[in-house]
Amino acid sequence: MAEHKLLEVTDLRMHFFTRDGVVKAVDGVSYDLDRGETLGVVGESGSGKSVSAMTLMRLIPMPPGKIVGGEAMFRGNSLLTMSDRDMRDIRGNEIAMIFQDPMTSLNPVYRIGKQLGEPLRLHKGMNKKQAQERAVELLDLVGIPHASSRVKDYPHQFSGGMRQRVMIAMALANDPDILIADEPTTALDVTIQAQIIELMEELQQRTGAAIIMITHDLGVVADMADRILVMYAGRAVEYGTVDEVFYRPMHPYTWGLMDSLPRHDMTEKGELCPIKGQPPSLIHVPAGCSFHPRCPYAKERCRIEEPPLRAVEGSHLAACHFAGDSDFSRDELECAGVSA
Amino acid sequence: MGELIKVRGLTKHFPIHQGVFSRNSGKVYAVDGVDFEVNQGETLGLVGESGSGKSTTGRMLIRLIEPTAGTIVFDGKDALSLKGRDLQAYRRQVQFIFQDPYASLNPRMTIGEIVGEPLAIHKVGTRVEQTKRVKELLDVVGLNPEHVNRYPHEFSGGQRQRIGIARALALNPKLIVADEPVSALDVSIQAQVLNLLDELQTQFDLTYLFIAHDLSVVQHISDRVAVMYLGKLVEVADWKQLYSEPNHPYTQSLLSAVPVPDPKVQRERVRILLPGDPPSPIDPPTGCRFHTRCPIVQLPLCADSDPELREVAPGHRAACHFAKPFPIDIDVVKASV
Repeated sequence: MAEHKLLEVTDLRMHFFTRDGVVKAVDGVSYDLDRGETLGVVGESGSGKSVSAMTLMRLIPMPPGKIVGGEAMFRGNSLLTMSDRDMRDIRGNEIAMIFQDPMTSLNPVYRIGKQLGEPLRLHKGMNKKQAQERAVELLDLVGIPHASSRVKDYPHQFSGGMRQRVMIAMALANDPDILIADEPTTALDVTIQAQIIELMEELQQRTGAAIIMITHDLGVVADMADRILVMYAGRAVEYGTVDEVFYRPMHPYTWGLMDSLPRHDMTEKGELCPIKGQPPSLIHVPAGCSFHPRCPYAKERCRIEEPPLRAVEGSHLAACHFAGDSDFSRDELECAGVSA
Repeated sequence: MGELIKVRGLTKHFPIHQGVFSRNSGKVYAVDGVDFEVNQGETLGLVGESGSGKSTTGRMLIRLIEPTAGTIVFDGKDALSLKGRDLQAYRRQVQFIFQDPYASLNPRMTIGEIVGEPLAIHKVGTRVEQTKRVKELLDVVGLNPEHVNRYPHEFSGGQRQRIGIARALALNPKLIVADEPVSALDVSIQAQVLNLLDELQTQFDLTYLFIAHDLSVVQHISDRVAVMYLGKLVEVADWKQLYSEPNHPYTQSLLSAVPVPDPKVQRERVRILLPGDPPSPIDPPTGCRFHTRCPIVQLPLCADSDPELREVAPGHRAACHFAKPFPIDIDVVKASV
């Protein structure tokens, strides 16, 4: 048998069937992941970043959710069709997840040690004492001082940054192959964010885990990611190495994102060039290319035909009809400003 | 460009009440002696991490919170002794934009009522004139004036923030205190709102106190920037100077910690990691409040004496005994982490 990729997601589609209509939260996402690699998933709120990750973990309640297409293979086994029992063996063990909000993702009524020990007792069959000892080691590993006494504390006795460290410790408890981090630093101050990023990078080097880093912060992915997936309205619109996406972006949405950012190396003040309008409702996704109503380069074809995510330059993919055309380039956008 | 507002020794200590008899058991030193001024027509950016006292400072300026000590001089008059009619007049001139566009608009009021409420409260014009003004304001902030009868839930986050901005503009204020006005918004929408704030400033000759934790947003919008740490100002300077030649070690580590959306820059630069969390403002460290995390701390001086906010270059002040535009010695930093 050929060597399987660690994770291979192809054309994943997760829709929610609600009273108001079908919400196409994830509508065509593909990527793969190798050992030790970091994939940055970027996009704005509602672009489907979190739902696509939670679909892999089978954490989406179905109904209302329904996987309407696509596949996700973990070491050659389908994550989408395996039994709940097999999935439980993988979740929190081989694939672990860190959530955005360290304030609400820990149970306030259990001591940290007990919560940290849970995955160990569940997956490794450790007894209470072993789990407790390992919990101390893990807290120590993620840089929490006085670990042996702090395992007896409750979550409210920890600061935000410390709680996120506990979450990371919990996710790493079983040496996962894949760590999915959903906006792990968004709720934190910059100096604490820097500590957490440093910690994740260090732990990745030590354990060789692959990381899927979901974030809206392009700075964080520029820092951590090897490859980047840009999502818009439930679809993958651009996919490439970090340098390809940052220095040779090909999709007009990616251009717009980059132009919306205040420049750190700015020496003179200028206007920002935001993308005009707002992201579409996922119930009424525009026909054709979902970005066409906001795209300054949209042509007739974009209104009718949905562009597939295709290889434009080697491994650099984009879902735009015109990406890669010699006469199609990011030119001086007219700033939309207030008229948006 | 004269001073529009001048703040000296502004201080807020919140008492902590505990137990059955609400005994006063301590204080939160939220803001502890802050001096700054905002000039007519400029934007002063106020940055700091959570708990640094930046929002409390903003709220004291609009007198939502009464200071424990200090003075605020607005347009040459003492703003803290104003009462009755004078206070009302002050409130017309100083308006506020809130962070959360979801929580700061009353869901049961139409946007026409929300934007028109300041006019009604201050009895500006007749009903008809007020309606006309509301429509004008909606137009100014880029919303459709025909939507006056809609409710906040019908609008997206960015649009709601525009409604909040229209409300702040209603009384033709001179100073607008904006507390994290774009931090709840996605980048593309954030850019739209930042551009709008820029345009309104030019159009109506507004002065902004712009409070935010996002350093690149503050860099973009501010003429001058003030950095707070644990209730104190640690550095104030022209934006260019602050971002290119920070003098305070806290500002330096803050700037080095911001992830920059440029992979090559990111790979090469060195992050100055501060150890631990900021101390609690209930029991702030003695001397320089930053000394417990400072990479260049020199004991016992820094623990004993609180450094003054002193001028290190023309228009550039920093509160550090060793303030100078130095690149931090990386070996020292590594050793302390």
